[in-house]
Amino acid sequence: MKLNTQMRVTRISNEIWEIAPSEKAGMLVPARIYATPAILESMDSGVFEQVTNVACLPGIRRYALCMPDGHWGYGFPIGGVAAFDVRSGIISPGGVGYDINCGMRLIRTDLTHEDVQPHLERLMTELFRRVPAGVGASGFVRLDRSSFEQVMTNGARWCIEQGFGWHRDLECIEEGGRIAGADPSKVSDHAVSRGINQLGTLGSGNHYLEVQVVASDRVFDRDTAAAWGITGHAQIVVMVHCGSRGFGHQVAGDYLKVFEKAMRRYGISVKDQQLACAPFQSVEGQDYFAAMNCAANMAFANRQVITHQIREAFAAVFGKSAEEMGMELVYDVAHNIAKIERYPEGELVVHRKGATRALGPGSADLPPRYRATGQPVICGGSMETGSYLLVGTEGAVRDTFASTMHGSGRTMSRAQAKKAIRGEQVQKQMRQHGIIVKAVSMSGLAEEAGFAYKNISEVVESVDRAGITKTVAELRPIGNIKG
Amino acid sequence: MAYTFQFLDDVAMADLAFDAGGDSLQDVFQGATNAVIEALANPETIGSAWQQAIDREDEDPAALLFDWLSDLVYWKDAACVVFSKSDVRLTQQEDGMWKLNALLYGEPINVSTQELRADVKGVTKHLYRLACEGGRWTVRVVLDV
Repeated sequence: MKLNTQMRVTRISNEIWEIAPSEKAGMLVPARIYATPAILESMDSGVFEQVTNVACLPGIRRYALCMPDGHWGYGFPIGGVAAFDVRSGIISPGGVGYDINCGMRLIRTDLTHEDVQPHLERLMTELFRRVPAGVGASGFVRLDRSSFEQVMTNGARWCIEQGFGWHRDLECIEEGGRIAGADPSKVSDHAVSRGINQLGTLGSGNHYLEVQVVASDRVFDRDTAAAWGITGHAQIVVMVHCGSRGFGHQVAGDYLKVFEKAMRRYGISVKDQQLACAPFQSVEGQDYFAAMNCAANMAFANRQVITHQIREAFAAVFGKSAEEMGMELVYDVAHNIAKIERYPEGELVVHRKGATRALGPGSADLPPRYRATGQPVICGGSMETGSYLLVGTEGAVRDTFASTMHGSGRTMSRAQAKKAIRGEQVQKQMRQHGIIVKAVSMSGLAEEAGFAYKNISEVVESVDRAGITKTVAELRPIGNIKG
Repeated sequence: MAYTFQFLDDVAMADLAFDAGGDSLQDVFQGATNAVIEALANPETIGSAWQQAIDREDEDPAALLFDWLSDLVYWKDAACVVFSKSDVRLTQQEDGMWKLNALLYGEPINVSTQELRADVKGVTKHLYRLACEGGRWTVRVVLDV
């Protein structure tokens, strides 16, 4: 096997690979990468460097992990998972990512592909009109500072109080759509100014809103799917991928600066400036955690307002209420976050950056509706190839701090993709394949062409075979809104 | 004034990287500024009705450039604008501090008239390096999108 690293990588199983602490000075624990041999060979050198850099951070427990959709990121690789002791470990913005609580949401409907196809053009136009996307887009929710602080502390619950959703939505969101411990006084004015207009907006890059069809021939676990409301033939669902927008980025950037200075004071040295960190129990660590939770709650609220707009768009096009069309949440899950969770080692600060929580059946941390099945895991593929609905397992809880993949992962840079194809061409090709795309930026659309991403089916297969999630169903796109 | 900038194919797979260069420190600041403006939108499609003066100073020119480029991203979100140009003036004071006086021009975002590009979320420290070699200033910048 030819890998993009000089370090020795040992096979633990067909889907698990390990780099021993002896391979890099300062590693405190081994690094483990989840991937099939083919995916491992395709991983860039950044993955190997970065996952082993993470293994050097103070207080890390068990392993530094990387999921099969991993690629180079800032500090941590995308797909990175690491858990640190609450008392002796650190917290790092580089382990959360700039887009705090970037995540996925899936909404089911009672509609079928046959119902939607004749109205698809109008539906996508209506969604494009109601869900702002792209550079600097601002949403329809007008907030003053005090209301925005309520968004920061109450997340999706604030939205429900304002009428942007149904009370039962909260049960279908990680942490009930509100993470405790958010403190707006730890957030800068700059961050507030950037975020205050952005509630209900998608952003750009790889963020999207997608109308999808459940692939009837690719439902792998019918009982679990049915328990989550995925029951029909060619059933329509809607997927949303976005996060805390400029607000979260500003929080991360502000605290990276704070941590760069704090590290000197605490005598911490890191292999990469973007791994800047502070002891979790320090003033700086606690301040970042409180500010990060504000951004996480803003992201839950953002996806909740978008959901409200999606329901309104469907109601306008189909002339029925969203409730009549059964537009219930399947789930909403973060994939850029740090949380305190309990494992056999004790309380740990689990960092997931481009990785999804994947609690298995019976977990006390899940609301009753998911306790029998395990937690839904939503993985977005490229806009041309489709996405997957998976379920968490006890294996994930045992082996990967209840974590799994989040998407397909890029294989080509944005600049390369833009040179290879024009956005107009992507739009035309997708229309020929029955997928209507509405995009604010044609160059942004070219960057997201399907060939710039790994084959998501291979990525999903590797986590399924590794036992850290099980595949429930494949979802195929028919309409996409891009920034 | 002689500056250049070029977006890079093989750096920062999921984001946007560029190199800027110039014959002077002021030139490399201007080149990097123009690169960020072009990353957000085609400046030829943007008017100049909105203006913002920005003054900053720092003893470290690399930190000054980083904070200034971050200002562009901040104003994009805070004022919901994209930019047509920016005039950047850089001077070194007697105490050694570098002072930046810039005037930023743009207009509110309008999807129907402007060619919008990437919604840059921030400037990162990854591979960030401002250097002078052989009398030419260069900087590498990775933008998070």
